[in-house]
Order: sequence, then structure tokens, then C-alpha cells
Amino acid sequence: MKDKINGILSEVQEKISAAASESELQSVKSAYIGKQGSLTQLMKEMPKLDPALRPEMGKLLNQAKSQVTELIDAKRMELKLKASEVSPDFDCTVPGILPPKGGLHPITQMCYDLNDAFRSMGFEIFQEDEITSELYAFDKLNFPPNHPARESMDTYWLEGHDSGSTNEKLCLRPHLTGGSVRYMQTHKPPYRFVYPGRVYRNETTDAHHERAFFQYEALIVDKDITFTSGKVMIKSILNKVFGTDVPVRMRSGFFPFVEPGFEIDMQCQVCGGKGCSVCKHVGWIEVMPGGSPHPNVLRAAGLDPDEYTGFYVNIGLDRLVMMRYGVDDVRLFHSADLRFLKQFR
Amino acid sequence: MKLSLSWIKDFVSIPEDADLKKLAYDLTMSTVEVEDVEYLARRFDNMVVGVIEAIEPHPNADKLRVCRVDIGGDVKTIVCGGINLREGMRVAVSCPGAIVRWHGQGEPVEIKNSKLRGVESYGMICASDEIGLGDLFPASQEGEIVDLSEFDVPAGTPLAKALDMDDVLLEIDNKSMTNRPDLWGHYGIAREIAALYNLPLKEIKPYEPEERGDFHVEIADPDRCSRYIGVEMSGVMVKESPYQMRNRIWKAGMRPINALVDITNYVMLATGNPTHAFDADNITDHIVVRHAAEGEKLVLLNDKEISLCSDDLVITDSEGPVALAGVMGGAKDSILPDTKRVILEVANFEATGIRRTALRYDTRTEASSRYEKAVDPERCDQALALSMQYFHELYPELKVTGYCDQYVKKLERAQIDVSLTWLAKRLGKDLTNEEIQNKLELLGFDVAIDGDNMHVTAPTWRSTGDISIKDDVMEEVARMYGYDNFEATSFTTAFEGAINQRDQDLIRSIKEYLAIRCGMQEVYTYPWMNDVFVNAVLQDTAGVLRLSMPPAPDLSYIRSSLLPNLCEAVVKNERYFNDFSIFEEAQVFFDRNYTSPYDETESLPEQRRHIGAAFASSVKDITQLFREAKGVLEYMPRYTHMEAFTFRKEEKPVWADNVVWMNIFLGEEKIGDMGLVAKKVSMDCGIKNLSVMLFEIDATRLKPLRSRTNKFTHLAEYPETDYDISMLFDSDAAWADIYEVIMGQKKASALVKEAAFVDEYRGKQIPDGKKSVTIRLTIGSGEKTLTSQEIENTANQVMKKLGKKLGAELRTQ
Repeated sequence: MKDKINGILSEVQEKISAAASESELQSVKSAYIGKQGSLTQLMKEMPKLDPALRPEMGKLLNQAKSQVTELIDAKRMELKLKASEVSPDFDCTVPGILPPKGGLHPITQMCYDLNDAFRSMGFEIFQEDEITSELYAFDKLNFPPNHPARESMDTYWLEGHDSGSTNEKLCLRPHLTGGSVRYMQTHKPPYRFVYPGRVYRNETTDAHHERAFFQYEALIVDKDITFTSGKVMIKSILNKVFGTDVPVRMRSGFFPFVEPGFEIDMQCQVCGGKGCSVCKHVGWIEVMPGGSPHPNVLRAAGLDPDEYTGFYVNIGLDRLVMMRYGVDDVRLFHSADLRFLKQFR
Repeated sequence: MKLSLSWIKDFVSIPEDADLKKLAYDLTMSTVEVEDVEYLARRFDNMVVGVIEAIEPHPNADKLRVCRVDIGGDVKTIVCGGINLREGMRVAVSCPGAIVRWHGQGEPVEIKNSKLRGVESYGMICASDEIGLGDLFPASQEGEIVDLSEFDVPAGTPLAKALDMDDVLLEIDNKSMTNRPDLWGHYGIAREIAALYNLPLKEIKPYEPEERGDFHVEIADPDRCSRYIGVEMSGVMVKESPYQMRNRIWKAGMRPINALVDITNYVMLATGNPTHAFDADNITDHIVVRHAAEGEKLVLLNDKEISLCSDDLVITDSEGPVALAGVMGGAKDSILPDTKRVILEVANFEATGIRRTALRYDTRTEASSRYEKAVDPERCDQALALSMQYFHELYPELKVTGYCDQYVKKLERAQIDVSLTWLAKRLGKDLTNEEIQNKLELLGFDVAIDGDNMHVTAPTWRSTGDISIKDDVMEEVARMYGYDNFEATSFTTAFEGAINQRDQDLIRSIKEYLAIRCGMQEVYTYPWMNDVFVNAVLQDTAGVLRLSMPPAPDLSYIRSSLLPNLCEAVVKNERYFNDFSIFEEAQVFFDRNYTSPYDETESLPEQRRHIGAAFASSVKDITQLFREAKGVLEYMPRYTHMEAFTFRKEEKPVWADNVVWMNIFLGEEKIGDMGLVAKKVSMDCGIKNLSVMLFEIDATRLKPLRSRTNKFTHLAEYPETDYDISMLFDSDAAWADIYEVIMGQKKASALVKEAAFVDEYRGKQIPDGKKSVTIRLTIGSGEKTLTSQEIENTANQVMKKLGKKLGAELRTQ
């Protein structure tokens, strides 16, 4: 009897481990511990046994039965964990259901990227109105009275406000710097702010020239600032935009409202400075003007230029976005063409 | 501006082995932007001087000739159609590999061995414009081959060598030197290079007049003309100038004309000081420089007659104006084919006056564009000396018969005191006094240091406004030291600001909400609006500002609302999309409330920041579109942390449908509108199949919350149950009223926690004039778990109240 039990047990173990599905497991169960199962049959033979052996055999049989039950339960759990809730032909390559489709304009995205970078350096964000007087567009920025930019060729004057003295003449702002003077007039130094905004020039448009474009101005003014501080500002901007440390160079440049003035070039990101058609084979691309605010500009803002100085840069966001994505026509930015804008989500 | 390196080398000895790339780089970094360095000879690669040995007729073509040409050690057969071919002639031969333009037009092509009408031809005998030399060797008629017989070189000499084209051209960006009048000429750049590399600069010795005669010049306004030198000469004639002079004028981008004109242009290109030559026989009496009389007439060199005004400065003789000073000569006394005597003008005119006159008559010339940068009067000495050197060289018979130098307003050299402590602070670097002094002296400054004070005297050529304050001196030191040699230093300023910028944050989070949460696309449009959309959407232009010179005649209005341009954007996109939503955030302008917080003399119009949106679809029904747009607005305040707004119908926007519209309020203040674009408006805009829902809010009026204000409520201790009821209402019953009955001040039951709109239905099984509304009640108690009987009772209570207040009936199927 004992051997029989052990024989059945090893047989069961083999069958359970071979079972590959719940139904196979069921048939193993009924074959051994079901009503007609072989262990159950053995149980029925107990009365025929020698009474002295019965307690031991009974114990053995019960143990064997519960052992089989355990094994089946364990196997059942194993099978469950291995199985899937769906049939094996479920297609996982069907596309996902997308969240709502929408996006910010690529220039807004660039602007917010820069805002984040500058905010982390403690810069305030400043915004001002787009219609300004000639007083702030030119006079306060050290533009000589006969500067060509004042003529209507370059600036959009408002009808009924296009003559008279400079505080009476109104235009769509041709640059942001006049607004910076407004900021300085109404705040106490030191200053550290950025000023994003759209500006307007009366120009003939083509793939590289627009009448409305985005500038991003950054200005620090304090008592002990050298123009080399500007390099930090510039590097931070480009690092944020391109994600790596971009080599920059500052070279001599001239703008009425800065002294000294710089043209700031960055290493061409297309060729890595080796020279290519994008950078006209010089390896550098002009990205922004900069410099220390001219003493006359600081005076216009009510500051003593002997006491205060600063550094200013003005970035053309359109150009930067064009470079970041390889956009070849600046007019697309104001086209409101969704086929274009949808690409920047 | 184009500069010839060999010409620059006339004035400064640049070593032969100098690295030109580095030279261009150094100039770019510290002075002016060198845009291009061109090795001129490369244009003439594979071109040689050939000598025609024999000319035979072409067997198959009347107009072609078959030439035997010696190209140096080899005689080749070349087929050519030139009309001036002769044996023994030196010609320009483009061998295979050379790049030419056929007949001077079209794209450049590479020369290859080819057969012309059955005869093998090696390369090509060229006309001047085919190799880019049309201006230097003008052809007198079509089909003329350039005749190089004047160049005494053996056959086979490379063309670049024969024609002195073995040179380098530096192209400088004019914009980068508008503030440096001293650089507008080869001498100026040479002087800068000499300073950068500490190289010796050749001095131009001043001219000593041999004869003064009774020649006289008078200047009426010293402020407008500080100096005028006139030299009267005889023994000259119109002839071709020597090749080197023509060659250099051509390299600088101008056209050689004749020796008399060429000398004046050559001297201008060399020194940057324009000069002019009058035919002396056409000048009556003396020269007077004065303001023009109003309405005085002058016929210019280009045969244009202009009517002068008193702001114009003119050169006159006793009969009237002969030239527009510093801008352009007159027709009457210009150099003529039979000119025998000339008066040379070397003068200095004031910059802004020249600019005004040039602009007034739309005649910007090489001369005016130099004068308007403010040339210093001392430069006249160099221009005069060079002019006289060339006049004597070209006309050995020449006699000076009169000379007059009126220098009526001496140029004062700019004097500036600079504190050395200040300089060190601004530079962020300690340079020794010797270093500073040395850099400045190389540039021609005189420097005297006394303690902390450095007294700087600028050279004359930098004293016309360029150098005027101590910051200018700082820039000179910094650029000479090299901007690349300053390390970046970070700034240390301490700040409190920038922590809370709620207005900025609010606009940004609204835009991010619309784009990212609501799936709308941000667009940019111009501030000007097209008349079509102004008329369709705004309908009334009162209070709308206009541009005086708009980009186009129908784009003169600048926006007082974002909606016209958004409708235009909808039209543009309708071709490609049938279901989309867009928004724009931008400034709008109103012709009212003029004021300025910055300057009491300034008055600016009212300017606000608006957010506008358009939801366009031809696949959704209007209810769905309306509820989408409204949902975006309803959730906006909660999402972006600002004070909530409400919707009421008070004043229909002119563009909106008669039924589908709402005004948007913040408290009692109206801050915007929303609604469906009326059919008529939509048709006027040119919208074809789309239904368009618009909204526009004044973002300037939105009130950001100081911080997040959501309140914590305890989690319900006992379960709450959703219970749907459907009731029949009058068709015009408003949900707002239904909600008020259930959830308002006098709540139907304290056990109703919320009532939500599920849907409404009209149609089959619903009587006319009625609608069925399904409402989801959330029912629960804070004290115990409700029994199903209690829940049902609560719902019945609600239905009873709706019946009593709004006449609602239970829907029976």
C-alpha cells in the first residue's frame, strides 16, 4: 500500500508539472483525488486493511491527498501568472490614442525657454506696450536727429500722429530698447530684467526679412559691472537654446545706444565651426548685438553714468528659431498656417 | 566696400607671408566685419594670354573663323566668331576647365574641348564680358574680342598675371563702419592694420603749391563747408588712364571713365575724401560755396534738373550753381571730350547737410555716402597731395595756374579725461599704464598720464564725433587688447525681484492651458488687419487706429480686436483642415484715453492685451462646438488660478449669431464675448463650410490669485450615490435656472451634494415645445449611510420642486 501511494504520488507530480492549462490540471485532479480518482479509490480500500496498519496508512493517504491538492493549487497559480487577459493575437502595434493636439507657437516656446533660463538667474520679465512715441523710440536712445531709421522707410508711423515734435509722433515700436528706458525710469537700480516682444519695421519682405518679428532683450545695470559680464548672459542664452555649451565671440560693432558695442557671433551649429553654406564658410553666425548702455541712454533713464553701467543684449528670436529647426522662410511665423505650426508640438 | 590688398600695401608694409585669414579675422574682431576674402586670380584659373598666328575661314560657317593660337609652347586650333580678330593679336584664351559666362549672361559654365560645326576647338577666345571684365575693357560693339596687345607679355602667360589680377580683395560690410569715417578708403584701413600689428605706415607728404595766381574761393557758411581747396590747371586732356589706375578702380567696384575723372575717383578710393574736377573753361570768375536760393535750378551730371531749396549747399560761379556740394557735379561744367583746363576741388562738407540733400533729391553717390559719415578736414591734405602726384604723372606738360586753400573752420582734436580706476573697473582687468598708453598711441592718440587721470587727445581722423566720451576711449583700449582676451566674469548683483510675477505667469499659464490642456494651436498674426475682415467682423471702424504708410493699401487698420485676423486665419486653413481650434495672445490698440505714465509730454493711446480664439469645424454640430468653446472658458480660471468669470447675455457682439452668444464678466465688469459667427459675417469673410465659434477676452483685466486657493474638504465618511433623473421641461428652460432650483440658496434638499447636466433631448417621444433633460444628482449624508428609500425620497423631493418651480414633469415612456 505504501509503495502504491508513493508510486501514485510521483506519477501525479510528473503530470502536474507537465500540465500546460487549467483544463489539463482539472483532469489530473479528477484522475487522482476526484470521486473516481486513484487516491480516492485507495481510501475506499482502507476498511479491507489490517486494523493495526489503518492509522498509519490513513495518515499517509491524507497527507498524499493534501500534497496533491497543494501541488495543483501551486501549479494553478503558476499558470495564472503566466497567462494573459486577452487572446495571443492581440495587436500591440495599433497606434495610441493621442492626448489633445495643440501647441504653442515655436517663437513662444523659445521665449518661454529663455524666460525659464533667465528667471533661474534672478531676472524679472518685463513687458510693455507696442505703440510708442519717437521720444522713446529714438531720442532717449541716443539716435541722432537725422538717423535714417527715423524715416518712414523703416518705421510704421500712425496716421494723424506722424508729424510734430518727437513726443507727439507715434509709431509701432521698431525695437524694444525704448521700453527698457521706461523700465529703468520707473524702477530703482540695480536692474536685471528680460524684455520679450514683437517689433515692427517697414521693410520689403522675403524669406529672410519680415515686417513683424520677435526680439528678446536682456539688461543688467549695476555699479560694478564690466562688459565681460555680458559673456555669461550670452552663453546662458545659447546653452538653453541649443542644449550645449556653444562657443561665442564678441567683436567690435556699432549701435547708437551702446558704448562699447558688440556684434556677438556663435559658432555655426550646422558645421561645428568648420565652415558651411549656412555660415557662409566662416564658421561663425551673427546672432545678436550687445554692449554697455550708452551714457546718454542711462542719463535718459535718470541714472548717473559715472556711477552705473551695465550690459545689454538683444536677440532676434525668429533667427534663433530658424536656426534651431532649420526653417528657411521667416514669413511662415506670421502665416497662421497650421501645416507649419503643427510641426512644433 | 571692396579693398585691394595690393593697394593697401602701398601704404603699409604687410609681410609677404602674412596669414590673410588671420588678418581678416583680426580686422573683424577689432574693427570692421570682413565679409569675404577673395583670391582674385582664381576667377582667371585656366586662362592664358594667347597670340593668334593664323586665321582661316570655317568650312561650314560664314561667321566663324578657325584660328591657330600660340598659348605658350603649344599652338592650338580654336574656333571663334569674334569680329575684330587679326593675326598677331594678343587675346584672352579660356582653356578647358576655365569658368566663363556665354556672352556675359546666364550661369557660369566650364569650358571643355568641343567640336564647333565639325571643327575641333581647344577652349575659347574670349570677349571681355565673358570673363567678367566688361567694365575694365568695355567692348565697343557686340562680338568684339578683348584685345590684349597693349600687354607686352609672352604667349602662355597666365591671364591673372598679365592683367595684374594676382591680388586679394577684402569685402567689408559697410554697416560695420558707419561710425568710422576714417576707414572709408584704402589708406584708412592701412592705418588701422598698421595700428593693430604695429607696422610702419607710409606718410603722404603734403603738396606745396608752386603757383597761386589770382584764383580765389569764397565760403559763405563755415559750418557747412569747413574747408575748400581749389587748384586750377592747364595742359590736361581727356584720355585713357594708365592700366594700373583703371585696374584698381575696377577692383574697388567702380568703372574707369577717363584719366581726369579716374584721378578723382582713384584719390577718393585711396583716401576716403571725395574730390571733383570741373572744366575750368566753363567756370566764370571765382568759386563761391553758398546755400542755394529757394527755387534755384541746377541740371545735374545725370541730366536731372532739380529745383533747389535754401538748405542745399551749392558750388557756384558768378552765373549760378555749378554743382550740388559733396553730392554730384553739374552738367554744365563737367569734364567734356575737349576739356583742356580743369579746377580740382578737394573739400570738406558737413555730414548731416549732405545727407539731407542727397535724400531730398534721391541722389546718394559715392561722394555723398562718404561725406555723410563726417570726414575730417585734415584729410584734404592727403587727397590733394595724391591728386597732384597723379596729375603731374599723367600730364607732364601740366601747369598749375591758380591755387586757393580756404580752411575756415579748423578741426579741434577731441580731448578726453579718463580716470584709470574707472577704466580698470569697466574693463574688469588690470592693464598697466604702459599697455594702455601703447595701445592708444598706436591708434594715433596722444596720451598724458597724471596720477589717476589720463588725458587723451584723439587724432584728427577720429575727432569728427566718433571719439567723444571716455566710454569711447575704453572701447579703443578693449578692442585693441582683443575682446577674446577678456574672460567672462559673472555678475554678483543681489536682487529680491522676480519671485512673484503673477501677471506674467497668468498669461503664460493661460496660453499653456489653451495649447496643452485644451489642444488648441497658438498662431501669430500681424497687427494690421485686412479691410475685408475689418468690414465683415468689426463692421465699424470708429476708434480704430491706422498706419500712415501701411504695408498695403488694404492693410491700414491696426487691430482693436484679435477676431478679424483670427477669421482670416480660419479662411486660410479651411483648405486643409475641417476641424481645428486656434488662439492668439497679442496687443490691441484704441484711439482713446491718451496718456503716459513715463513722461508728462508723451501721450500714448489705450493699449490692451487680448486673448482670442476660434473653434472651427464642419464635422461637429453647433451645440457641441459651443459647449467645447464654453468649456474651455469655464475651466480656465480654475486651471490658471485667477478669479472666476461668469456668463450673461447683455449686449450681442456685432459679429455673433442672434441666439448663440454670451458676454463674459468678471464681477460686474464685462471682459469679453463669445459666440457663433453669424452666417452673414461668415460669408463676408469667405468662410465656406466651417461653423466658427469665437471668444475674445481682455487679459489686462484678469485678476490672478495670490496663490492657490483650492480648499481641502474632508473625504466623505459615508458613501455618496449618483442618481439620474430625466424630466420634461419647456423647450426654452435654461439649465442655469434648473441648477439654481436644485443647488441654489434654497436647496431642494440638504442631501443633494451636486447636480450635473448629463444631456438634453428633443424629438421622438417628446411632445412639441418640450425637451427632456437628464440630471445626475449626487446624494449623500455626512452622518450615516443612506438607505435606498432615503435616496429615492431625496430625488423625489428634487423632482417635486422642479415641477413646482419650473413646471417640469416626470418623463413617462
